[in-house]
Amino acid sequence: MNLQVLLDVAAIALRALLPVYALVIIYQCFASARRHRRPEKPLVTLEILQTGQQIPVLFWENSIGRSKGSDIRVSDISVSRDHCVFLRRKEGWFVSDIGSKFGTFVNGERCEGRTKVILDDEITIGHTTLVLKRGEEYQERLRPSWFFSKASDKGALKPYKLMILITFFHLFMAVEACFSNEVKDFAPLYIFGAMEAVMWAFFCISSYALNRVNFELEALACFLSGMGVLMLVRQELRSAVVQLVAMAIGMILFAVIVRFIEDPDRVNSWRLWIMLGSVGLLAINLIFGRVQNGAANWINIGGVSVQPSEFVKVAFIFVGASALDKLQTKRNFIEFIAFSAICVGALALMGDFGTALIFFMTFLLIAFMRSGDFKTVILAIAAAAFAVFIILNIKPYVADRFSAWGHVWEHTQDSGGYQQVRVMTYMASGGLFGVGVGNGYLKYVFASESDLVFGLVAEELGVIVAFSLAAAIIALAFYARAITTRSRSSFYAISACCAAGLMVVQSALNIFGIMDLLPLTGVTLPFLSAGGSSMISCWGLLAFIKAADERTYAAKRRAPANALRERGAVS
Amino acid sequence: MKRIMTRSLVLWFITFAFLGGMVYLGGKTIWFHNDWVQQPFNGHMNTAGGLGKAGKIYDRNNLTLAYSENDERHYSDDQTTREALLHVVGDGTLNISTAVQSRYRTSLSGYNFILGAGIPDSLRPNSDVKLTVDAAACRAAYAAMDGHKGCCVVYNYRTGEVLCDTSTPSYDPAAPPQITEENMSDYDGVYLDNVVSSRFTPGSVFKIITAAAAIENIPDIDRMSFECGGSLDVEGNPITCESAHGTQSFSEAFANSCNCAFAQIAIQVGADQMKATAEKLGFNNDSFRMSDVPLVTSHYDATGAGDNYLAWSGIGQYEDLANPMLMAMICSCVANGGTATSPYIVSDDGNLVDKLNITVNKSKDVEMLASGTAARLRELMKGSAESYAYRGVSLAGLDFYAKTGTAEVGQDKEPTAWFVGFTNDEKHPYAFAAVVTEGGYGITAASPVVEAAIGALVNGK
Repeated sequence: MNLQVLLDVAAIALRALLPVYALVIIYQCFASARRHRRPEKPLVTLEILQTGQQIPVLFWENSIGRSKGSDIRVSDISVSRDHCVFLRRKEGWFVSDIGSKFGTFVNGERCEGRTKVILDDEITIGHTTLVLKRGEEYQERLRPSWFFSKASDKGALKPYKLMILITFFHLFMAVEACFSNEVKDFAPLYIFGAMEAVMWAFFCISSYALNRVNFELEALACFLSGMGVLMLVRQELRSAVVQLVAMAIGMILFAVIVRFIEDPDRVNSWRLWIMLGSVGLLAINLIFGRVQNGAANWINIGGVSVQPSEFVKVAFIFVGASALDKLQTKRNFIEFIAFSAICVGALALMGDFGTALIFFMTFLLIAFMRSGDFKTVILAIAAAAFAVFIILNIKPYVADRFSAWGHVWEHTQDSGGYQQVRVMTYMASGGLFGVGVGNGYLKYVFASESDLVFGLVAEELGVIVAFSLAAAIIALAFYARAITTRSRSSFYAISACCAAGLMVVQSALNIFGIMDLLPLTGVTLPFLSAGGSSMISCWGLLAFIKAADERTYAAKRRAPANALRERGAVS
Repeated sequence: MKRIMTRSLVLWFITFAFLGGMVYLGGKTIWFHNDWVQQPFNGHMNTAGGLGKAGKIYDRNNLTLAYSENDERHYSDDQTTREALLHVVGDGTLNISTAVQSRYRTSLSGYNFILGAGIPDSLRPNSDVKLTVDAAACRAAYAAMDGHKGCCVVYNYRTGEVLCDTSTPSYDPAAPPQITEENMSDYDGVYLDNVVSSRFTPGSVFKIITAAAAIENIPDIDRMSFECGGSLDVEGNPITCESAHGTQSFSEAFANSCNCAFAQIAIQVGADQMKATAEKLGFNNDSFRMSDVPLVTSHYDATGAGDNYLAWSGIGQYEDLANPMLMAMICSCVANGGTATSPYIVSDDGNLVDKLNITVNKSKDVEMLASGTAARLRELMKGSAESYAYRGVSLAGLDFYAKTGTAEVGQDKEPTAWFVGFTNDEKHPYAFAAVVTEGGYGITAASPVVEAAIGALVNGK
């Protein structure tokens, strides 16, 4: 009897430890992300020939013009408000005119497109001439950032130690699943073994083959996806395997995208094809789509069900973001608006209103970051409201799907509130520390592993773990925003913020939907929800945030500096 | 880039909105976790896992009504006791929502939000609960129901303790029946504790309310006399008595339960004043509770219905519906000189209740009538109890005050029998109400149930 008490206390203690452990891991992921900040000094300096005034160049892409918001502001009446963009690439520094009235000249020659600039070259805009100088020649203290730690702060965990922490967390989950109330076998351990093999392989390839110095974003994604896989073990072993395979594919896609967008200009030449491909994918979906849960957003390719809209999410970010000099062109923006309209329209036609809303919110985010124009955003919202009004008038039954919203407790036995009330009941049953992996009842409710996974985690691992998942997504968004200030291109800045924004919106729709704060739209929770397409696309989105971190391509960073020096020596 | 950096703050805006939503939902989870857990579909609670480890339930004499052993729920050894207390104790399901095992399922099972429903046995807090009911009284009343549908409630009008609460039809919680389409009619309403959750056509017991309205609104009511020729024509529709009562005073009309007289009284009081008095006595009011179990709202409203319906409503027909517990409370109001005692069923004896975090909820007593009105009603009910019709009724020899009712329910059904009242005794101050549907006359069908219950309470088991 006393031994039993001791064992029970130990089990409870272990269960109570897990949420603390989860919080430690999430904290460590971001603690490590906050380190390694490049010393904040200007990259180069531009000297105004006429006055001798030195202007520090802080960013990889700088707008030059007369307007207040310009990165390099020139108060010269003959300079356009947005005159040109001065940007840095692997090959060195370039200047690119963005439709100024009187043109931009390098060493007296009017430039068309991007024109290379080397040390002591003269850039003439209006009556002002700027001379390119070295960065070291200018000293100024920069504004400190709340997000990044100071150099003196204690160092964060080494990536491999972080991975060990995560591995043990997953091991605890797997062991707990082995001793679940209903089924007792070692299948969870096999899945765990295979999963850790995939994760460690990814870690090794990333650090040794690809020479990436940091791993905290990947570690966070591994932590979350792994938790998702292990939640499936006691639900349906087969889907755990599928989820694991999707995770591996996601990691590959992640690495491919990070490599692909290493050159932010490469995206521009592929932009049209990405758009056409996405529209084609959505068209195929519309024609051959299979209706599942009231939305025809699935297609079957050789026995594998895929959700094309998930992949279009990644494409959407590609199309939305651009380098600073391309960003200003009207054509680029109009293409993006047209593409967005097609995507949202196609999704609405499929009946996948949740994903349509995610696209629309992301569109607003991108549109605002590009234009800074509230008018555009308000116009878009007005147009969307009008479209919703039309849909509700033509197809009034659409509204019925959301009729239980706000009073699900009156619909405990019909489809209107069946899932939501069970999520809340089982969340509360889980308590702070959960009933243990595999011991929950929510797993018998339809879509518990995908749409309702937040509730499943809350029931089996406890409310603390569930809420810390949301905290992880929130931290991801803060991180994405913090690194934009040091991004190498506006392409990265915009794509990282929007990828993070997309995940936040998606998480909000998911969690608020199942807890009746918003209508239930059936979108997935990033990384956690069962579903191969969703898992892969989340890793794809994460790649944009990864790429925005200036440390990602750190090994390559010395190259342009060297190039600059060599050229400078030659001239 | 500077501009994009500034604009990227919009991501903060979205993120803060999400954060705000999560904080709100977290608060909601903490605030409502008990309501969320306690759902009939909750797998942690409605299987053996829910009650298999739940605490014991005792009656007022520490007789064990339910206990758990080896992950199974057991009930009293005696089948009649099990069936008589089914609606008070509950069963393994949450079907009887007002039963202790349903309402306090989470507390009984040792659930708390910190450790959740997956708490190991050895760490489960002791969660026994003691009730105010007397098992012997319930058993006696249940047996006296003799298979009829209905209920009986007896409670102490000084303290509010509910001593007898039994409802039929019932079943054995140790062997719950499979309810199928064939036997459905036998189990009609089986999940309702009729004492708190049902309302019946009151018939003549409603004359207590009509009498109260008359006392308050017709100053010379006691100087009036009423003619009864066995039938009274109101707007072309006859209201009848069993036999012609002749000329009677107000008291005699009440003792005779004369329909013709009370039809006239109701018309004279008027629909608005009738409604006002009924509402003082708890009709159309959903705020009454037994412990924290809400009583179903009793109904009275004849405004705008015309004199004929008003007359019918005055003798407890028309659309009148009364809840048995409320009728017992009205009797307690008469017994207490105008104030109704609020009933409760979870005993505050010992520290069990504190541990369980269950509200004993002795709600505030309700002032229903002026003491003068109550005193006059008391006389009327005494007169009724001493009338010829009650000659065979004995409530363990105690001095008692009562009114019977025989409510017509139409559809070729036998009438619903009522017996309500109170005993006047220092040691046994009981207010009671019994309903036997399709039972026939109140005096023959319903009074034996109360006799059995009070007999058991006074004379012991």
